[in-house]
Amino acid sequence: MPHLVVKLPNTAGEYLAQVRYALPFVSEDLVAYEIRESDGEVRVEFRDGADMQEMKTRVDRLLERYSTNEFGLKTKVNFEQKRDLPPIDAWAGMLERKWATPVGEGHAILRGPAAQLMALIDHKVLSVFASEFQAELEIFPSTIRSETLQRCNHFTSFPEHMDFVAHLKPDLDVLKDFSTACRDEGWAPRHHDGRMSVNDFAISPSCCYHAYEGMEGWDLEKPGRSITAILGCHRYEGSNHKYLSRLRAFTMREVIWVGQPPFVINSRARSEALIEQWARDWELSCTLEAANDMFFTDDFSVKASFQRQQEAKRELRMDIPSEGGSLSVFSSNFHSTTFGKAFGITVGGRPATSGCVGWGCERWVYALLSQFGFDPAQWPAGLREEYREFTSAGFPRKAATAAV
Amino acid sequence: MEIEAIKTGLRDYIVTQFSIPAGDVDFNDEVHLFDYGYIDSFGAVHLLNFVQTKFGINVGQADLIAYPMNSIGEIATFVSLRQQGQV
Repeated sequence: MPHLVVKLPNTAGEYLAQVRYALPFVSEDLVAYEIRESDGEVRVEFRDGADMQEMKTRVDRLLERYSTNEFGLKTKVNFEQKRDLPPIDAWAGMLERKWATPVGEGHAILRGPAAQLMALIDHKVLSVFASEFQAELEIFPSTIRSETLQRCNHFTSFPEHMDFVAHLKPDLDVLKDFSTACRDEGWAPRHHDGRMSVNDFAISPSCCYHAYEGMEGWDLEKPGRSITAILGCHRYEGSNHKYLSRLRAFTMREVIWVGQPPFVINSRARSEALIEQWARDWELSCTLEAANDMFFTDDFSVKASFQRQQEAKRELRMDIPSEGGSLSVFSSNFHSTTFGKAFGITVGGRPATSGCVGWGCERWVYALLSQFGFDPAQWPAGLREEYREFTSAGFPRKAATAAV
Repeated sequence: MEIEAIKTGLRDYIVTQFSIPAGDVDFNDEVHLFDYGYIDSFGAVHLLNFVQTKFGINVGQADLIAYPMNSIGEIATFVSLRQQGQV
């Protein structure tokens, strides 16, 4: 198999994390890669027939993009609670118990206690956070206009994420030919070639974009609005997909604030105090720390630094003992007036600021089972009691009985 | 360069580039430019380029983390110190 071995210009942990994330997007011809930290090099394998000169250029370009970043900057930790926990392979355990079924790349079905845990997470967000901020419930469609994503600057920061939606051309011959091809030969991607209509929508990569486009042109009452919504989101992550920590189809619950700066900033601070209390109550092994997005563009460096400097993003990261690492399960974000300006939302005549906090629901399930295992009787008292109370309340109980 | 001259240069640029209306009562040299929505992460890229070009200094990522640069006053202080080789 054709391959390249390329020297890494940097071997700092953060640099390697960025490179690991980005390498799968070098080319469709990339099959596998291995970072050899001790040798300071990366080996990248490609499909037969790949243009290796072009592949070398692309790999070099990617390694160079991140090498200009000054890695090794100290991470600011706002909250830390560590526990000594045994390694548990949560995904294998869920499969064994039929609590989860993979249904395609980055797609999974949850059932039984895994589904109940996820419902409990959402219930807790609604009862603690949404009620604290008197957040108004909004229901969003799962797809979003590509034009809206453009206005949110999503394509200039995270183009690799997008799962676009398209339909067959509304044309009698196209529909007949597609149907006939599927009947005669079985469905295959090639049957779509030349038969798809122009793209106009994408599956939403985030929950809160709809909130801003829904308020386009509004002049809000002071100090602003609190909103909550839950949405099935999509992010394509190439070969980075991993059950259940990096799904392509996942569920995000958010609480969103739009309004005057002190209203948004104070609400965000209050929500971080609440998530710290949650971590204490459930005895989570975790940190709340400043973070940055994996911007996938050439101006990554400045955007990421600015985000860190302003602490515009903080994440609650739960330890995953079996992986020797941690996983972001909650993020707290401040957008300044980015969305207020993009959608003409004002408060008192000035562009509104916005912020949001988000829960990656499947990640919470994965992290909780990774830390505490599959027997609720062995879970920390706070989690155990809330789970018992929640599952005995009616709705989720039948599913639990069937799956255990 | 005198710090007041640096502030004036920054103020003129920000008012023009980010369309800050005359008479904005919250806008002054000490207001937190990001928290109060005058500049977002995209604006920061432009501002950083302006600062480096206009004042002839280099601003690294470590500087962004280490030194407060949230207001016109804070940025001007950093620029002045960097020009004098003190940071």
